[in-house]
Amino acid sequence: MFGGLFADVDAVALFSPSSSFHARFDDVPEVELVVVGTENAVGAETFVELPIEFDDVTDRIRFGLEGCLDADVVDDGDVLACATSVFDDGIDTVSRVRVDADDRTGIYDLFTRSRADTEVIQAVLELAIELGKKGQKGKPVGALFVVGDAGKVMNKSRPLSYNPFEKSHVHVGDPIVNVMLKEFSRLDGAFIISDSGKIVSAYRYLEPSAEGVDIPKGLGARHMAGGAITRDTNAIAIVLSESDGMVRAFKGGEIVLEVDPEAY
Amino acid sequence: MVTWQAVIEEPAVIAGAVLALGFVVGYLVGRLNKELLRAAGVPEAVEGTPFERTAQSLGTSTVRIVARISSWFIYGIAILTAIHIAQLLDTDAFWLRVTEFVPQVFIAVLVLIVGFIVADKVELVVGEYLRGVKLPEVTVVPKVLKYTVLYITFLIALAQVGVQVLALLVLLTVYAAGIVVVGAYAFKDFLVSSAVGIYLLLEQPYSIGDRVRIGNRSGIVQEVDLFVTKIESESEEYIIPNRQVFAEGIVRVRE
Repeated sequence: MFGGLFADVDAVALFSPSSSFHARFDDVPEVELVVVGTENAVGAETFVELPIEFDDVTDRIRFGLEGCLDADVVDDGDVLACATSVFDDGIDTVSRVRVDADDRTGIYDLFTRSRADTEVIQAVLELAIELGKKGQKGKPVGALFVVGDAGKVMNKSRPLSYNPFEKSHVHVGDPIVNVMLKEFSRLDGAFIISDSGKIVSAYRYLEPSAEGVDIPKGLGARHMAGGAITRDTNAIAIVLSESDGMVRAFKGGEIVLEVDPEAY
Repeated sequence: MVTWQAVIEEPAVIAGAVLALGFVVGYLVGRLNKELLRAAGVPEAVEGTPFERTAQSLGTSTVRIVARISSWFIYGIAILTAIHIAQLLDTDAFWLRVTEFVPQVFIAVLVLIVGFIVADKVELVVGEYLRGVKLPEVTVVPKVLKYTVLYITFLIALAQVGVQVLALLVLLTVYAAGIVVVGAYAFKDFLVSSAVGIYLLLEQPYSIGDRVRIGNRSGIVQEVDLFVTKIESESEEYIIPNRQVFAEGIVRVRE
């Protein structure tokens, strides 16, 4: 009845499988197997990493497939059977998806081919999402993080006030950072974070040239500044919007990712 | 009444009582040990080591073996005490030797078990780490670490039961000294760089975003960490060991 779902697929993609589930495929060597997840818990040979645990299944599969394409695990036009979970932890759903190279968003580029370390970008994105979820004392806040190429970004910006991170050695991902940034997020200006995740400065006024920056109309000065600095330098910008609460990531002056913190 | 007292003072009866008490206490201590080890998370810690796997295949586990040994130790003491009280063997010298020797053997066995598990665990963790950093070919390092731990374990165990270990100890010293010398030589540059790195991080004579010149390399500072400073010019990125930063001096460029 459901045979059509699995008929001549080019590969099987398992999303965060348990090791016993993964072991079932040991006996079927003719199936090309890809494991997709936030970590390679089963020690699979072909593994594609997801930057964050997407709650939305469509997003999860879409970004997973983009990662597969990026890693040359699959080709344009391949048909995959994606096994993932919708309701609880275990795998309970299989969907048949055709890989289409045309609707790439560049999210994999954002994580794997940026100057900054992948874990740093991941941590900043998680931070922005958490900040968006909770806000500052229940009120929505906005924030702008510029990640990577910090030397150049510092030269294309000026301080609005004293830098609270001067002579400190705080890195994103340190346990104290969440609290600190939440407090500092009521300050105006951008946070500047180096390639290795050191928080170089807060309170920075970015002064890039905004020529040729193409971001949707209706987004404010924060997004414009964030988008423009990524065009001028090799940095990426992660922006939490105060008005609509969305987290957006910019690279090369373009939006590459838009997530709703409430969905995570 | 008198008969009661006579019966109680009969050595065989006392010996029997001691024996019974010993067995009860031994059993309880075994159980207690098992629970304590469980609560301390020992089963998770030893999981996956060859010792545990061997124990599993024999239908037991590390925790059970250790608990069993502590029980046996107390059984042994009880039996010996009973023998002494019942005066089945009436040689004081023998008695003295045995009381000294039994705890030592017990500790030696315990040290061996712990040593084997630690050695296996070290091999496992280091091997896993090397695999994690995509360097699975270096299988020598975990093996060397494992046998080092085992060697030290055997030394402690042998010393415990009173075997002369001086020669083995000399060997260990030579081995350790060799590692220290080789390590110090290999990591000399790292040590110097990290000493400078600590100064750079604490004092921050320059920070990210500053334009500096070190030797004949100039550019914008992108990153300062314990070992290196990364400086980027228009077309080139220099990764300079902190040792050199200090040797060549820092020029801060002001436009």
